[in-house]
Amino acid sequence: MTASQPKEKRFVNPLQIAEDQMLIGLTLLGQVGYLFWRTLGYMIRLQIDWGESTRQGYMIGVKSLVVVGITALFTGLAMSLQISRELVTFGADTAIGGVVSLALVREIGPITAGVIVAGRVGSSIAAELTTMMITEQIDALKVMRVDPIKFLVVPRYTAALIVIPTLSTYAMFLGLLAGIFIAKTAANVPPEAFLDSVRQTILDRDFAVHYLKSIINATIIIFFSCAIGLNTRGGAEDVGIATTRAIVWTMISIFILNFVVTSLTYAPR
Amino acid sequence: MTAEPVLQVKNIHKAFGDRKILEGVSFDVYAGEMLGLIGPSGCGKSTLLKIICGLLAPDQGEVIRRSDDIGLVFQGSALLNSLSVRNNLALALDGRNLTKKEEDKIIREKLELVELSDFMYASPTRLSGGQQKRTSFARAIVNDPKIILYDEPTTGLDPVMSTVIEDYMIVLSHQLSAASIVVTHQFSTWTRTTNRVVLMFEGKIVWQGTPEEGVKSDNPFMQQFATGSREGPMLAAKI
Repeated sequence: MTASQPKEKRFVNPLQIAEDQMLIGLTLLGQVGYLFWRTLGYMIRLQIDWGESTRQGYMIGVKSLVVVGITALFTGLAMSLQISRELVTFGADTAIGGVVSLALVREIGPITAGVIVAGRVGSSIAAELTTMMITEQIDALKVMRVDPIKFLVVPRYTAALIVIPTLSTYAMFLGLLAGIFIAKTAANVPPEAFLDSVRQTILDRDFAVHYLKSIINATIIIFFSCAIGLNTRGGAEDVGIATTRAIVWTMISIFILNFVVTSLTYAPR
Repeated sequence: MTAEPVLQVKNIHKAFGDRKILEGVSFDVYAGEMLGLIGPSGCGKSTLLKIICGLLAPDQGEVIRRSDDIGLVFQGSALLNSLSVRNNLALALDGRNLTKKEEDKIIREKLELVELSDFMYASPTRLSGGQQKRTSFARAIVNDPKIILYDEPTTGLDPVMSTVIEDYMIVLSHQLSAASIVVTHQFSTWTRTTNRVVLMFEGKIVWQGTPEEGVKSDNPFMQQFATGSREGPMLAAKI
């Protein structure tokens, strides 16, 4: 046996890697844009399979209730505890309800529901559609002259537009209950005073921003996971890669667009 | 057989990047004829099938179809697991604006042909491999297509089930008078079901004739493929 040959050193050009990644990102954004445009076309013409949309609503919404609920409840408890402690120190106990509700309506509600649904549903959509691509089910639809966008994407987006804002409201409501509980037990603020503070602080605009963020989250989750799923080829390993890509892209996009909306609506002028 | 071919494949070229998959493939298929597209794995058979049914576009050449009604039987059945057997077939009827009653009549008829009418409302996940394959046959013929394409219809099946599937192919081809193309490398499938075979190797047609001629042929490619011998131009080219 001969001595092992020294391995040839390969120069990895960081600029080349950055260029490749940017190209992959831009391609995905193009696929997302195309999918969004086509889906919108079907929805405007009301070419929606309501039965399938209801089934998807159950899969996306009802099956996420427990996990969104637990997350929202404990996020609300922890956040309320922190806020109560600081406000009690400054003698501003009565403002606990207002501060907690502001955080819940503007940020925590949409973000919690968005991130949890992205993790649970976005990954599952990407895995399902990638598997359908690999097992030629999408090709079968095309041969039968059934548009995969109309058949697979439109019902999912229709369902998500209804259930994700509902989940955000549900997360906000549970967070508020957690706030009432902490305010009463940790700062001795009665529920009436807590709710009075909420009423004085929250504006209609806050709810409008809440629902705008929820709709943006629904759009990001469905289109990124569908675009990744419908454009992946290969084998079993690629299902895992597509799932991870879908989660990474949806999470990053949710946080970035959340900041963009906040800065456009609440930035000091 | 009529004089005019139902399907004409003319000088098809296809490459993925630098890799040439098909290099000038041409043939005609007539009504009632079953053409076997045979060859070793990776010779471009499935790519050609996807070009014929419009799933892929050729880089050069054209496919002329006398009918737009095409049925495709996929290698892995490709049934949609979220739908029942009935609804898998109903998808193919979507554009015909039929009532549910009319749809049910057609679907039951086709399922009876493949002896699966008892499974009309079952989920595909509850069917065996052979039953799934037969369901995909029923789906492919639900619109009485004039062109039927089979992609490796017997690969992965046991010999008995392969014979059953081959029998269905023969019966369906006769009943529909369709022009059929069978992509396969299974000896029993191309010798039992086809009228004519085209042998492909590295993206080109290297031999064509009847299955009987193929078995007796002294063409080195055909001889090696038919006998499964290690000696011959196919393995030599790969090594």
